[in-house]
Amino acid sequence: MALNDSVSLVSLFCVPCPSLSRPNFCAPQMRAQLLLPFMLLLLASPMTWGRYDDFDDGEDLAEFDDNDFAEFEDLSEDAGMEPEATASPRVAAAPASDQDDDDDEAVVEIEDAQDDFEDTETPDEDIKYDTEEFEGFEKSSPSFKDPINIITVPSHLQNSWESYYMEILMVTGLLAYIMNYIIGKNKNHRLAQAWFSSHRELLESNFALVGDDGTSKEAVSTGKLNQENEHIYNLWCSGRVCCEGMLIQLKFLKRQDLLNVLARMMRPVCDQVQIKVTLNDEDMDTFVFAVGSRKAMARLQKEMQDLSEFCSDKPKSGAKYSLPEFMAILSEMGEVTDGMMDSKMVHYLINHADKIESIHFSDQFSGPKLMQEEGQPLKLPETKKTLLFTFNVPGMGNTSPKDMDALLPLMNMVIYSIDKVKKFRLNREVSGVSSTHYCAVGIMNEEDPERQRRLEVSLVCARVFWEECTEQS
Amino acid sequence: MFSNSMADPRRQNKILRYKPPSTDTNPTLEDPTPDYMNLLGMIFSMCGLMLKLKWCAWIAVYCSFISFANSRSSEDTKQMMSSFMLSISAVVMSYLQNPQPMSPPW
Repeated sequence: MALNDSVSLVSLFCVPCPSLSRPNFCAPQMRAQLLLPFMLLLLASPMTWGRYDDFDDGEDLAEFDDNDFAEFEDLSEDAGMEPEATASPRVAAAPASDQDDDDDEAVVEIEDAQDDFEDTETPDEDIKYDTEEFEGFEKSSPSFKDPINIITVPSHLQNSWESYYMEILMVTGLLAYIMNYIIGKNKNHRLAQAWFSSHRELLESNFALVGDDGTSKEAVSTGKLNQENEHIYNLWCSGRVCCEGMLIQLKFLKRQDLLNVLARMMRPVCDQVQIKVTLNDEDMDTFVFAVGSRKAMARLQKEMQDLSEFCSDKPKSGAKYSLPEFMAILSEMGEVTDGMMDSKMVHYLINHADKIESIHFSDQFSGPKLMQEEGQPLKLPETKKTLLFTFNVPGMGNTSPKDMDALLPLMNMVIYSIDKVKKFRLNREVSGVSSTHYCAVGIMNEEDPERQRRLEVSLVCARVFWEECTEQS
Repeated sequence: MFSNSMADPRRQNKILRYKPPSTDTNPTLEDPTPDYMNLLGMIFSMCGLMLKLKWCAWIAVYCSFISFANSRSSEDTKQMMSSFMLSISAVVMSYLQNPQPMSPPW
């Protein structure tokens, strides 16, 4: 069959030659040159065809495999077994196909080829994990049971500003504190200047010396406030009848301290103006009197030496004088109250009740009570005839410079009080109380503590007796 | 004119010089805040330096600022400056020794 095909090919080549237009192509020399390679081809083709014939036989295939893969005996045993198994169905199929399609071309059976590929999977595993070849390989293989530790890079090596957020917060807080300090200090300064500019004329018309820090050689009015703190301003006025001098303290809120500002958000507090007028001995009679808000009176009665000594324990209501309910009076006796609460004073108190914290007149003023140890004699504190005024600045912390003008009528009240106290004299009929008053001074001068206590008890009894007598009268 | 001189309450011969109130007689009237804050600032500075605690050093800076804000004008500025410098040095030293950022306490 192969020879017949080759002959037919040659004949096909030779026949169409005369039909070609080029006569040179049909020259005898050319013909011989072309024929040669074709002859070679024809000779080689039967050999290849024969090869395929060899593969068609299943028995020959197994023998061929054994010969080629003789080195890999293990593989060939496994590979040989299965190809032999598949070879038999192939052998069974091949003759059948040969018989059926003898004239047609050979049918390529893909199914058997796929089986071959499936069979080769298991040998691959053996190739990988061949124990003889890979000794010690099992130990070096990674085990997936250990947990993976992700080490975090230290923050300062990360080169990011975000990790320093605490430091940025701290610096921001400091800057906020500094800003608040500057703003608060300036506000307090403006309030102080506003107060002084509104009160300057009144003070200069009443006092020869307005503003003195005590350091200059000559007594010349400085005309300005003394700054003790960022929130406390002083002004000393002197050179007037009826008094030695007047010290005005502007006690503002600590607006320059951010902590204080935050604390005030919880508990609102007012700015205060404290006026302390010191008097000569001849400028005031001997009495103790206080009027103001009930809270302030209760506090002063406990804190102040003279009020706790000479006045009753509970503040009395000022309803008798048409004072508001939240105001109370602490007085040594009714005579003093009647003398102090004249119409003008009552007018001032009613109209400016919200701004008045306390008014305290005393001829035995020595400040707050000092802690005394038991067994030791009472130390006689220095006393001075004093008028004390404490005013609240309107605004409850949110004060503007314009609010300082509202305090001017209160300064007028202070001047009026100085003149009034100078003129006020106790009735001689109440000299008994005055004598108990001086007895109290004598008790404080007593050095022996036991004798002092006995005298105190007798003084209290005498006072109670006298009060009962005055009430009855 | 006669009425004016009568009405004028001013008297040149009655002028008294201002005397600052002594603190010995009235210790309760003084505000202790600047002194306490100064002391706290110094303590926190030393803690921050010795124990290498950054937050101590920062609190010391805050304490010195608060002490300065509440201080009286008559107080010596040298003490204020020394406590301030000590707190700043505590912060700088703690960061030189350990440049890591400060960790919050929570």
